[in-house]
Amino acid sequence: MNFEFSEDHKFFRERVSDLLKKLVLPHASRIDEEEGFPENLFKEFGRLGYFGIRYPEEIGGMNADCITFTIFAEELARVSMGFAAITTMQCLMGTEFIHSFGTKEQKERCLIPAIKGEKVGTIAFTEPNCGSDLGSIQTYAKKEGDGYILNGRKMWITNGAVADFVTVVASIDPSKRINGLAFFLVEKGTPGFSVGQKIEKISAKGANTAELIFDNCYLPKENLLGEEGKGVIYLEKILNEIRIMMAALGLGLAKSAFETGIRYAKEREAFGRPISKFQLIQEKIAEMDTKITNSQLLTYYTAWLKDQGRPHYKEAAMAKFYSTETASFVVDEVTRIHGAYGIAKEYNAQRYFRDARFLLFGGGTSEILKIIIARERLKEAI
Amino acid sequence: MNIIVLVKQVPDPEAIVEVKGDGKGLEVEQKFTMNFFDEFAVEEAIRIREKNGGKVKVISLGGAKTTEVLRKAIAMGVDETLLLEDPNFEGSDGYSTAFVLSKAIEKSDYDLILAGKQALDDDAGEVGPMVAQFLGIPHVGEITRLEVKTDDNMVVVDKVIEGGKEVVKVPLPALLTTQKGLNEPRVPPITGVMKAMKSQIPKMDAKALGLSEEQVGEKGAKIKIERYLPPPKRREVKMIEGEPQEAAKEAVRILMEVERIL
Amino acid sequence: MDFRLTEEQEFFRKTIAETVDKMIVPKADEIDEKDEFPWDLWREFSKLGYLGLRYPEEIGGMNADPVTAMIFYEEITRGSVGFAQSVIMNILMGTYFVYRFGSDAIKERCLLPAMRGEKIATICFTEDQSGSDLGATRTTAVKDGNEWVLNGTKMWITNGPIADFATVLATTDPSLRMKGLNFFLVEKGTPGLSYGQRLSKLGCRGAITGELVLDNVRIPEENFLGDELGKGVVYVGEILDEIRVMTGAMALGIARAAYEEGLEYARKRVAFGNPIGRYQLIRAKFADMATEMEASRLLVYYAAWLIKEGLPCRKEAAMAKMFATETCLKVVDEVTRIWGANGFAHEYRPQRHLRDARFLLYGGGTHEILKDFIGRSVIGKI
Repeated sequence: MNFEFSEDHKFFRERVSDLLKKLVLPHASRIDEEEGFPENLFKEFGRLGYFGIRYPEEIGGMNADCITFTIFAEELARVSMGFAAITTMQCLMGTEFIHSFGTKEQKERCLIPAIKGEKVGTIAFTEPNCGSDLGSIQTYAKKEGDGYILNGRKMWITNGAVADFVTVVASIDPSKRINGLAFFLVEKGTPGFSVGQKIEKISAKGANTAELIFDNCYLPKENLLGEEGKGVIYLEKILNEIRIMMAALGLGLAKSAFETGIRYAKEREAFGRPISKFQLIQEKIAEMDTKITNSQLLTYYTAWLKDQGRPHYKEAAMAKFYSTETASFVVDEVTRIHGAYGIAKEYNAQRYFRDARFLLFGGGTSEILKIIIARERLKEAI
Repeated sequence: MNIIVLVKQVPDPEAIVEVKGDGKGLEVEQKFTMNFFDEFAVEEAIRIREKNGGKVKVISLGGAKTTEVLRKAIAMGVDETLLLEDPNFEGSDGYSTAFVLSKAIEKSDYDLILAGKQALDDDAGEVGPMVAQFLGIPHVGEITRLEVKTDDNMVVVDKVIEGGKEVVKVPLPALLTTQKGLNEPRVPPITGVMKAMKSQIPKMDAKALGLSEEQVGEKGAKIKIERYLPPPKRREVKMIEGEPQEAAKEAVRILMEVERIL
Repeated sequence: MDFRLTEEQEFFRKTIAETVDKMIVPKADEIDEKDEFPWDLWREFSKLGYLGLRYPEEIGGMNADPVTAMIFYEEITRGSVGFAQSVIMNILMGTYFVYRFGSDAIKERCLLPAMRGEKIATICFTEDQSGSDLGATRTTAVKDGNEWVLNGTKMWITNGPIADFATVLATTDPSLRMKGLNFFLVEKGTPGLSYGQRLSKLGCRGAITGELVLDNVRIPEENFLGDELGKGVVYVGEILDEIRVMTGAMALGIARAAYEEGLEYARKRVAFGNPIGRYQLIRAKFADMATEMEASRLLVYYAAWLIKEGLPCRKEAAMAKMFATETCLKVVDEVTRIWGANGFAHEYRPQRHLRDARFLLYGGGTHEILKDFIGRSVIGKI
C-alpha cells in the first residue's frame, strides 16, 4: 500500500495550484459577486490547454488519468467554485459524449474548439420536475424519418446561458423509463433551441445556470450520441465520473475554508490570547482536519480504483457523499470561528458557506447516494 | 347610530377537513378564524361609528372557542360583544341559528344590522336574510358600498348583481350582508389587542333568551343533514396535441360541448 | 404544570401572527433583496403600537410579560429577520438603558418617540477587537468638567447609520477591564459622531449594520446611564437573560418559517412516482426537525417563564438560546436539502432562511462562550 502521490501527480498539483493562484484567485470574489460568465478567464484557460485534460494528446489533450483530473478539480474548487463548475463541465460532462460517440465533423465543430476554449459545452439532465428521478425525464426525442424531433425543457444547466453545444439526455421511449433514455447533441443555432430563464443562485455563482428550451428541434440521426437502449449504461458511467469530480470539489472547498479558519483562529484574540488556544476551537479544528483527511483518502482511493479499471460504483457514491457533507460541516464551523465576520460579505467565509450548498445536489443528493450505497452493499457477501 | 354585527367562527381555510367514515359528520382540524365576509361587516360598523357616533355590538352563536373571534372584533374596536352559547344549540341549521340570533337582537336597540354574505364553511348565505325576516326588517345582500343618510334615517348601498351593480335606498332599521370590496379590514393596534385580551365576554344561553329546547338547535332546525360526501377526485389532465391553432380549436370545442362551461 | 398558553396569550399569538402574515410576510423578499431600511413598513407597523411592548402602560407601552414578549419576537422574526432586528432593537436593547436610567428630559426626547417609531434606537457593544471579550473594549469615556468625552469606534451596530440615539458601552478605566465599563447616551447630531462604513451582510438584510465613530464626542453629565461608575456589566446582566431567550425565540421563528416551506415542498414534489414526503429519509428529517423544534420551544418558553417569575435562570437562558439556535440551523439546512437545487435559487425562500439564520450564532453570545459558561455553572467551583 502506497499512500503517496506519485512524483508526476505532485508536480501536476504544484503547477495547477500556481496557475490558479495567479490567474483565477484574484477574480474569485468578483466572479461570485457579478454572476456573469468570466469569458476572458475561460478563453485564457482554453489557450493553456487545460480543457482537454482528459482527452488524448492527439487532439490537443493531456491524456490525464482519473487521479490527475481529480487533483485538477480539487485545486479549482480551492480557488473559485463558480469557475470550477464551469471548467469541470467543460472538461468532463459537457464534452465527454462528443468525444466518445461524436462523428468526425461533430468533433471538429464542437470538441476541438471546446478544448481550445473557443466554444462552451454543457450537459442537460435535470428538468423542472425531475432531478433525482431520471426515469421521469419528459424531454422526448420522437423518431421522425431519418432523425428525431426533440421537445422539452431542461433546468439547472451549468453554462446553460452561454453554451454552444449541449449533450441532452432525452427519452426515446417514455414507457421504458430509465431504460428509454438516450444522449443527443444539440448545437446552438438549431431551430427551436433557446435559452430560457437565467437562474440566480446563492451558490457556485458565475456558473451561468439557466433553463434550456427545446421546441420541435429536428436532429439528424448522427446527433444521437451512442446507441439507442444503452442510455442507462452511459448514465452510470458518467455519473461515476461526476461523483468523483464532485468529491474533489468538496475536498478543495473544505481545505480552502479550513485554512481560512485556522488563519483566523491564530490571529484573532479574545480574553488575552489567540482563540486557537481555547479547547472548543481546538475541537473544531480536530474534527475538521480528521474529516478532510478522510475525504481525501476516500476520494483518491476511488480515483485510483477507476485508474486500475476496477469497479467503483459504490465508492464513487461514498466519496461524493462523504466529501460534500464534510465540506458542509467545515464551512459551518469556519463561519462560527469567524464570529460576526462569518456573515460579512467582505470576508471569504460566507462565500465558502454558500458554495458548499451546490455540492449537495450535483451528482446525487446525499439521500439518494445513501440508498445507492446501501443497495450496493447489501448485494455483496456479508 | 347603534349597529349590530353578526359574526361566525369558521374553520381556517387551511384547516384539513375530512368526511367521517359513516358520512354522518366531518373531522375538522382545530384551527379557527373569523368568517372572511364578517370581517368587512365589523370594519364597516366601526367606520360608521367613527363617523356618526353610536355603538357597535357584535353577536355570535358558537362554542367556548368562539370567544376568540369576539376578541378579534374588540381588538378592531367594537364596543360590546355577546356570545350565545348553549349545548342545546348543537345541530343548528340556518333557520334555528337565525331564530336564536334574532331573539338576542330583539333585546337591544339597533338602527342597522351587518353580517357577512355567507359563511365559508357551509356557503349557505341564509342566516342574514332569515334574521331580517324574523325581525321584520328589510335586507339587501352583497353590498360593496354603504352610505349613511342620518337625516333621512336610511342608507344607500351598492349591491352586486350579475354584470353590474344596483344602487338601493334602504330605510332603517335594516339588515345588510357584506361582500368583498366593501372595505379593507384594519389590522388591530396594540391598544385594541390589550383591551381584547383583558375583556370578559358576556354569554347568554337559551334560557336567558327565553327559548325552549324545542325552538333551538337540532330540534328547532328545518333541515337535516343526511350525509357528507367528499369531493370527487380531480380527473385526469387531458393533453391536447397538435399545432397551436388546431389545439386551441379543440380546447374551445371541449369547453363548449363536453364541459359546457362556455 | 400547565403547558398551555393562557387564553389571552393564545389570542395575542393569533393576532400578531395574522398581523405579520398580512403586513410583513409579503414584503420580506423585497426587504432582503434591496437591503435598505423599509421606512414605509416601519411607519405602518409603528402605528400599531407594538414598539412599546415592554414598557409600562402609563407611558404608552403594553407592559408585556416575558412570555408574551417571546411570542411577539418569534412571530415577527418568522415574518422577516431584517425587519425584526430593527423592531426588537427599538423594543429592547436600544431603549432599555434609557428607560432604566434616563432623566425625564431624556425619556421625553428619546424613549417616547422610539416607542412610537419616530426615532430609531440602537446599542453599541462590539468593537473591531472585542466581541465576546467585553473587557477588551477600547472606546473611552473621560470626565471633563461636567461633560463626558467619548473616543472610539464601534462595529456591527444594527441600524447604526440611521440611529437617532445610541447607548454606547465605553470604558472609564481600561485597566479595570470589565469593571471599568459604563453606558452612555449619544444622540445624532452630536459633533464628533459619525458613521463609518456600512457592512454588506449575508443575511438579516434590511437592518442597516455599520460602524459608529466617536471622535471627541462631548455629552452632558445626564447622558451617563447608570447609578454608579463601573457597573456597566452588572446592568447588562439585568437584560442579558432576556436577550438570550429572545434570540432563542427568534430562532424558533426562523425555524418555523423554513419548516413550513419544507412541509409544503415535501407534500407536493414528486420523484420516483411518489411525493417525496412518503420516503423514509425525508420523513426522518421531519421527525428530527419536529422533535427538536418542540424541545426548543419548551426550553425557550420555560426560560421566559423563569424570567417572568423572577426565578434564577442564567443557565436556562443560555441553554435555550443555544439549543434553539442549533435546532434552527439544522432546520434551515435540512429544508434547503429537501428543496433540492431549488433550495439555493434566489427565487425561493429556503436560501434566505439559510442565510438569515447565521446571525443567531453570535447574538446573545457565541456557543463556545455559552458552552463554557454552562459547563462551568453545572460543574461548579472546583
